[in-house]
Amino acid sequence: MNAIIALSLFGITNLFLGFLNNRKILLPATLLFVLIAFGLNLADWNHEYYWFHNMLKTNNLSINFTSIILVATALVVAISRGFGNDEEHTHPAEYYGILLFSVVGAIMMVTFQSLFMLFVGIEILSVAMYVLTGSDKRNLRSNEAALKYFLMGSFATGIMLFGIALVYGATGSFDINGIGNMVNQAKLQDIMLNPYGPILYGGIILIFVGLLFKISAAPFHFWTPDVYDGAPSIFTAFMSTVVKTAGVAATYRLLSISFPAVYGLWGNPLVYITCLTLFIGNITAVYQQSFKRMLAYSSISHAGYLLITVLAKTPTTNSSILFYSLAYSIATISAFAVLMVVSEAQSKSGKPDESFTALNGLATNNPFLAFVLTVSMLSLAGIPLTAGFFGKFFIFADAFSNVSSLFKTIAVVAILMSTVGIYYYFKPIIAAYLKKGDLEKIELSPIYKLTLIITTALTILLGIAPDLVKNIF
Amino acid sequence: MQQIPDVIRQIPLNNYVWFSTALFCIGIIGVLTRRNAIIIFMSVELMLNAANLLLAAFSSYKSDPTGQVFVFFIMAVAAAEVAVGLAIIVMIYRNIQSIDVGILNKLKW
Amino acid sequence: MQFWYFLTALTLISALMVVLSKNPIHSVLYLVFTFFCISGHYVLLNAQFLMAVNIIVYAGAIMVLFLFVIMMLDLRRNSPDSKTNLTKLAGAVVGGTVLVIFIAATRKINLGTGADNAFYNSQTGMVENLGQILYRNYLLPFELVSILFFVAMVGAVMLGKREAGERNF
Repeated sequence: MNAIIALSLFGITNLFLGFLNNRKILLPATLLFVLIAFGLNLADWNHEYYWFHNMLKTNNLSINFTSIILVATALVVAISRGFGNDEEHTHPAEYYGILLFSVVGAIMMVTFQSLFMLFVGIEILSVAMYVLTGSDKRNLRSNEAALKYFLMGSFATGIMLFGIALVYGATGSFDINGIGNMVNQAKLQDIMLNPYGPILYGGIILIFVGLLFKISAAPFHFWTPDVYDGAPSIFTAFMSTVVKTAGVAATYRLLSISFPAVYGLWGNPLVYITCLTLFIGNITAVYQQSFKRMLAYSSISHAGYLLITVLAKTPTTNSSILFYSLAYSIATISAFAVLMVVSEAQSKSGKPDESFTALNGLATNNPFLAFVLTVSMLSLAGIPLTAGFFGKFFIFADAFSNVSSLFKTIAVVAILMSTVGIYYYFKPIIAAYLKKGDLEKIELSPIYKLTLIITTALTILLGIAPDLVKNIF
Repeated sequence: MQQIPDVIRQIPLNNYVWFSTALFCIGIIGVLTRRNAIIIFMSVELMLNAANLLLAAFSSYKSDPTGQVFVFFIMAVAAAEVAVGLAIIVMIYRNIQSIDVGILNKLKW
Repeated sequence: MQFWYFLTALTLISALMVVLSKNPIHSVLYLVFTFFCISGHYVLLNAQFLMAVNIIVYAGAIMVLFLFVIMMLDLRRNSPDSKTNLTKLAGAVVGGTVLVIFIAATRKINLGTGADNAFYNSQTGMVENLGQILYRNYLLPFELVSILFFVAMVGAVMLGKREAGERNF
């Protein structure tokens, strides 16, 4: 809650800092703001509070999710390099301001107690992302991505709102506990007795179609590759970490608090959606020529892994989701950091080269970048001694500990698909170490280098001693 | 005993549910069949209005004002979305002199 | 209650015309008409304040913005739609299927009318009652919507501003 207020004020401060005509001050200021918000967020640790007539509820789970979102934001801000020196065409004060506002939306999505807050939070996050996706105004790919994201996003919002309206009609409440109580009374066996049953079920389905759109699960993923590909890389990194974490957290919160009583309704469809997400995300990623597009498909497949543990409903689900989100966010951000500097160094006639061939021979003159890339790819692939391995391990353990044999099937599908993942995550590593290229030494600013060292060290540390963080969660 | 309006006394709530579902489906059809970005966007507005109408109907029949308060939020959000969406459309029009979604194929679907 | 059915039919027909019109300006005008019909429904539901807000916000602000953009861009020139008939048919089938499934699912149920509502309060949709609730219970989302407007304002100015220099693809 304090973090929400602080970030709203900091966002406005950031916009005013834009008047100073000093681009250098913005990056450290934004980083400071995010860290202050991180501190304020931890102040409520071990307390359960309801805020403002049950609009928000903070507990340790929501504080953990907020922390992951803020860590990811801080890392993204740290690798943003102040958005270059192009005085005329970039507006860093606005970008940083909107970024902070969008984090407000993300925090609302992980702490909401009323559907009012969920809806407003999703909209703040989405509208901010539409703007940031189109922020490279002279680039037609960025324009097109913004339009596509906007049309698909508002379509999804419309579907979700109709779902909320139906659920309100059936339960008469917007409070997630209130909805949960009503759903318990109107259980599946009473569907003949309760006239509101079909309305409730229609509403639940539409809400989840809307939410799955936002986290880009399989049948609703088709906008993801284009939007992630067209948006400026720095905002793609933000979308594939913060937006995804917030979306999964919101889905998990709604499913586990409001609708556990009707697990039979959403459980089975979600199982198929999860399998389809894993399948499409991993198989299509194999055929990509562009590193950035491959990362977009990989983010679809990671949404699939996260959905497994949301579905499995074991006592360890909380910590598994948190650990996986953290591991995935850190690795993705360092992959995007390498992609950004390399693609700019390789740019042809002003257009950054984002294909795998841009990475050719990276290790010859830039051993550090090649090492960072390797660690992040190994982590995303889930190779032991990296954080990603334990992330996947906990999720598969959850799936196997569930009594239903269905989950053993999902776990087997997921393991098969992660072996497919190893193939395409090794492509950039092979390009960097084994192919020949003429990439020259890339100069990195100190803060950029420091960020890469932190993400890489954290990935390895969590891969050796996962209990360090797992115990907190 | 307060006066209950005629509509609430005589029209079953089912009719409102079907009516707004029909409006919602017209919106979906518009989004899926049209290529002009502005018309797609207007269809989305139709979908939002279907949700508004449904919320208002449930709220009036149950005499619970919360649903109508939610409608205000939907309207506020729709206004904000329209501002950003039309800015995106204007930006694209400046670059390519068209807003047909089919012309935008730099990125494959 | 003939009037209810008349208004409903009018709403649905004008909504269909929004989707079917070739000319975007006609679409906008039909949409404005749809909004007026929906406002009529709000009056029938005894939600007068909602009616006023609906006309002011939707018909007054949002639709004027639409018309303004359409006129500014002069869209009549590229009126032919580039979608094939097959995609159009598929889209219509999907939308129709959703409607049929939903009606089939709710066909049997009977939600009744509000005639026997013992707690009926005719002041529910009045501005005083709504204001009390909005500014007491829903103060936090109300305040946070201002963040949304802030983002929209900054974003619209940033994106809509003319940019000097070359395009790059």
